[in-house]
Amino acid sequence: MTRRDLLLRTGKGFGAVALTGLLQGADANPMAAKLPPLPSKVKSVIYLFMHGGVSHVDTFDPKPELTRRSGQPLSVELAKTIKTSFIHDPTKAILRGSPWAFQPGGKCGTPVSDLYPHLRERMDDVTVIRSCYGDVFDHAPAIYLRNSGSQFPGRPCLGSWVTYGLGSENQNLPAFVVMSDGSTKSGPPAYGAGFLPALYQGTVFRGGQTPILYLRNPAGVTDEAQRDTLGFIGQVDRMHDAARAADSTLDARIASYELAYRMQSAAPETVDFSKETEETKKLYGIGESATDDFGHKCLLARRLVERGVRFVQLYSGTNVGADWDEAHTDLVGSHTRMAGKSDKPIAGLLKDLKARGLLDSTLVIWGGEFGRTPLSQGATGRDHHPYGFTMWMAGGGVQGGRVLGATDEFGVQATEMRVDTHDVNATILRLMGLDHEKLTFLYQGRNMRLTDVKGENEFTKKLVA
Amino acid sequence: MRLLFLLLAGCSLFGASVPEEARAILDGKCGSCHGETTGMSGFKVTSRENVLTGGTRGVGVKPGAADESVVYQAVAQTGKLKMPPGGKLSGAEIETIRTWIEQGAGWPTGTVAQVKRPEWWAFQKPKPVTDSKASIDYFIDQKIAAAKLEKAKAADRLTLLRRGSYDLTGLAPDAQQIAAFLEDHAPGAWERAVERLLASKQYGEKWGRYWLDLARYGDTSGFEQDPYILEGWRYRDYVIKSFNDDKPYDKFAKEQIAADELYPDDSEARTGTGFYRVGANRDMLFKVEEINAVERLTDAVDTTSAVFLGLTVGCARCHDHKFDPIPQKDYYRMQAVFAPAVNAQVFLEYNTARFSDLAANAREFKLRQFGEQIARIEKPYRKTLREKKIASLPEAARVAVNTEEAKRTGEQQSLVAQSNDPLKVTEDEVFAALSQADAERMQVIERKLVGTFNGHTAPPMAPGIVDVGREAPRTFIAERGNPENLGEEVRPGFLTALGGGEVAEPPLHAKTTFRRKALAEWVASPENALFARVMVNRIWQGHFGSGLVRTASDWGTRAGQPSHPELLDWLAQQFAEKKWSMKEMHKLIMTSEAYQRGADASPSAAAEDPANLLLSHMNRRRLQTEEIRDSVLQVAGELNLKQGGPPVVPPLEAEELFGIIGKPDASWLVTPDTTEHKRRTVYMISRRTFQQPLFEAFDSPDGVQSCPRRNESTTAPQSLALLNSKFMVEEAATLSAKVETVDSAWERVLGRKPDAKERDAADQFLAKQTKRLGQRQLAMTELVRGLMNLNEFLYVE
Repeated sequence: MTRRDLLLRTGKGFGAVALTGLLQGADANPMAAKLPPLPSKVKSVIYLFMHGGVSHVDTFDPKPELTRRSGQPLSVELAKTIKTSFIHDPTKAILRGSPWAFQPGGKCGTPVSDLYPHLRERMDDVTVIRSCYGDVFDHAPAIYLRNSGSQFPGRPCLGSWVTYGLGSENQNLPAFVVMSDGSTKSGPPAYGAGFLPALYQGTVFRGGQTPILYLRNPAGVTDEAQRDTLGFIGQVDRMHDAARAADSTLDARIASYELAYRMQSAAPETVDFSKETEETKKLYGIGESATDDFGHKCLLARRLVERGVRFVQLYSGTNVGADWDEAHTDLVGSHTRMAGKSDKPIAGLLKDLKARGLLDSTLVIWGGEFGRTPLSQGATGRDHHPYGFTMWMAGGGVQGGRVLGATDEFGVQATEMRVDTHDVNATILRLMGLDHEKLTFLYQGRNMRLTDVKGENEFTKKLVA
Repeated sequence: MRLLFLLLAGCSLFGASVPEEARAILDGKCGSCHGETTGMSGFKVTSRENVLTGGTRGVGVKPGAADESVVYQAVAQTGKLKMPPGGKLSGAEIETIRTWIEQGAGWPTGTVAQVKRPEWWAFQKPKPVTDSKASIDYFIDQKIAAAKLEKAKAADRLTLLRRGSYDLTGLAPDAQQIAAFLEDHAPGAWERAVERLLASKQYGEKWGRYWLDLARYGDTSGFEQDPYILEGWRYRDYVIKSFNDDKPYDKFAKEQIAADELYPDDSEARTGTGFYRVGANRDMLFKVEEINAVERLTDAVDTTSAVFLGLTVGCARCHDHKFDPIPQKDYYRMQAVFAPAVNAQVFLEYNTARFSDLAANAREFKLRQFGEQIARIEKPYRKTLREKKIASLPEAARVAVNTEEAKRTGEQQSLVAQSNDPLKVTEDEVFAALSQADAERMQVIERKLVGTFNGHTAPPMAPGIVDVGREAPRTFIAERGNPENLGEEVRPGFLTALGGGEVAEPPLHAKTTFRRKALAEWVASPENALFARVMVNRIWQGHFGSGLVRTASDWGTRAGQPSHPELLDWLAQQFAEKKWSMKEMHKLIMTSEAYQRGADASPSAAAEDPANLLLSHMNRRRLQTEEIRDSVLQVAGELNLKQGGPPVVPPLEAEELFGIIGKPDASWLVTPDTTEHKRRTVYMISRRTFQQPLFEAFDSPDGVQSCPRRNESTTAPQSLALLNSKFMVEEAATLSAKVETVDSAWERVLGRKPDAKERDAADQFLAKQTKRLGQRQLAMTELVRGLMNLNEFLYVE
């Protein structure tokens, strides 16, 4: 046992201050775990965000009619209902059927395309929602919209709201963790806390043994030396404190150094997979070149929720490398590549969570900022398409094996059980035991909500009943 | 519907029901001290349960028994407790409270604003304060005495100087300044110190930054492309200079709203209209131009109202404001004021700007020729290199690439798309392949290009706005905020709640609508109930941490009462009398006893007024991001005090740039001149999609919406950043090389010598770390790093 382990386990830092209660200078620690106001057994969320836009008609929303009419134009009436980014005129573009075959998955038989053979086997745990829609067809505003309910940056995102509402079960790790491939089309505002206090913003976990920024000691400073410097800071701070009337803000600052130190131990322990079995790693596709990266992220997500982290968001895709959005010019290549990176890891995650009894308490969400046009962009691509697309949820009390909602025969517009971003976010909050109309924060004279004045088509009952 | 029902259900023939009236009185007259966050003496008027329970003074309300209820006793002032401290309620109000308790103390559901209330105080013009004894301390002391609190004693001189220095300049006093002040025992020493600080050029950088927070300033536009607002920094410099020049606040406001109409020949004043250009904008999002236009108007109305009037009018975009008397129509009357505004370049030096425009035109033509020339030279090399790359592709891909586009199978199309990257020919590869002769031709072009750009610099222009002409586009109410569902047409005008008014038709031959001129004059008028009060409250907030009205940009009915209403009005009156001089207001505030008190709460204040509403002691505050970074550079002797100019992009580590949109070497173009990197933080670039990690951790505003007051959070990532970031570690090392002894380290970082106990602790620490790290120098770096993480360093008190 190293000195660091000892400190971590015994919790005897410098001065052994009651740190969590002191953070924020408040009487109560804002990150303390809170019971949800509504009944819920869900403790954590893992949100798999498919960055750039996944084609719904090539994954979870089969459209035989689209295939039949491949090569023909869309009716002018229907074509006029959509705006596109790169397709110059939707009324003149041609429909394109999916190049992938669909097969029924699980006992329930929910159809999934050949892009997701592993995930297909998990469909008994998954409810597919085929009728998501939005009104923004540019990446950045659409990513902000899905995450924060506003197409402008600057609003708190879902993960921030959830941690604001429920706190965290683990005070030594960030409550809201984000993993991405680096650059996204929206940048950090997509996981920002907006007007909520900064502690609710997503903390980025990078690769390597020190996943959090500034976690490493300065070069040349050993753990013991760092420990002594921290001890010195605490010692002089307490002299300063003793000369003053009690002030919880000063005590909170002292505690924040203690927490920083604990984080320096807790985070590396979390990313250390040495105690995971080979079998587990294999389940996630770790060690195979295509799936290694996303497999790492998915396994880390499980380890984070196991340790009580409230909200984990994983981005698949980046605007400076492999991305779903490469489907503009290369549907087959981009989707083959991106599904190939994530199919096995996601299926492995669902299976592993279930095997460990964590699936009931972990809500897994899959989705992106929008779908892609059933119309062909050029000869080989598909454009952005927010008017009807697919998300799915599993775990967290969601009854699997179902398909909810529908798009029209071509997959252009959501037609049955239309749900926009607010409806989806309201549902996610409700599954967590939070009422989207009551989870508010007073800002600029208004009780602000994630769902603004919307979310009336919240559909939790269709998922859990 | 629900709202209407609530209103009707509670209505008596004469308006509001007794419970509604009672709740309005409790909220309006007691809410500022007994609200959700304040809760003085443990008592809150926020729910029936809270009111019934009461606080430390006993049961608040006993339904049916007014005389036994503390709330009634206090407002009727029948016992020792007399509330509210500012002045007794009217007889009718006291009677209402009595009746309400006697009738069972019912609690109306719904929000407070749905309850009928008297005209809101903030919308009434301040009452002239004629009391000859009026002063800051006069008003503050009255309340402290009424609450029987013990005041903190005066702060010691070093603490006071440090407080004043950070408050006015965002920097700590240096050793010389400290020595001079501590030795100045003549009367008026503090006044002289305040004046010196107000005269320093760093004053504008500190107070300009507050204004930039309000003006949601940023150097880029936001969204995926996040393009630069190229000369936006001219507005930043204009703001800093305006503060340093002590520009009268009414003029400062008018310039920003309408300098093009009010002072058309004053290019510096017109830079102020950059206020409407330095926010986030969606201009780069194409095919959604209508939405972009609506958002631009929304931003203009919301920001103008919030900044100059302290009002959040945004709700009225979709419906009449729920809480404040702002009908939807008013919102669109304000929009109509901005409807004719379009972007313009303000020429700061007319001829130079014109020539720079012309030069840009000629340069563009020249650049295209260079482009053609380069492409012509490169073409054969690119062809050969590509062919070589095709030859090295796997067979299937090679065949696919060589197949005619129309004849490719689906799989081949995909293979071709995947081969795009491997087939890319880089500039380096072409250069390596060039023949001697072609390489020389390229060098000639290169030299010419260098000549074209040598000394290329920002043109003397600034982003601003003007009106499109005399005729404005028409403005309609957007039903439920939906721009596609237009209702009634509206004329440009002002908020009814503040007296209203319409804009006159412009003269026949006018080149502008003069709508913003009318707005500016209406806003920045002594007749406007909010204009002066909102700004003095902001200045107060900058000195005490919170304003007399705590919600600095929300003075609507949810704001509650000011903690010191008469003081607020008196300050507003002083502001106008002192010709809107902000420096005079600083002086007035800083020379008060209240400002000079120590930060330790007395036991009575700690118990009775934990939120320090009555200002019996100074509020301790954490340094803001800028102050932290600038101070670290300052104590290390590295701070470059150069003023103004284009935003500086300091170098960051790859891990610090994680998450930035695009490739870091394209998205984060580090300023080539390294002496720029250590300039004050206000000059560092603020990208709307990427904040430096240190800034993000320490609650810097994101520049999307006007920020009236920053959060002051305490988090572990802050501690990690201050302990381990390369910036901190390097500056600690730099300083440690300049200090020999514990005493000198202490003096540099904290402005004082250590006491014996501290010296002991430091000596022991140094000895231990020297042994561990092998060198005293490294141990000294640890000591300095530690000092830069101390509460004493990070807080002003």
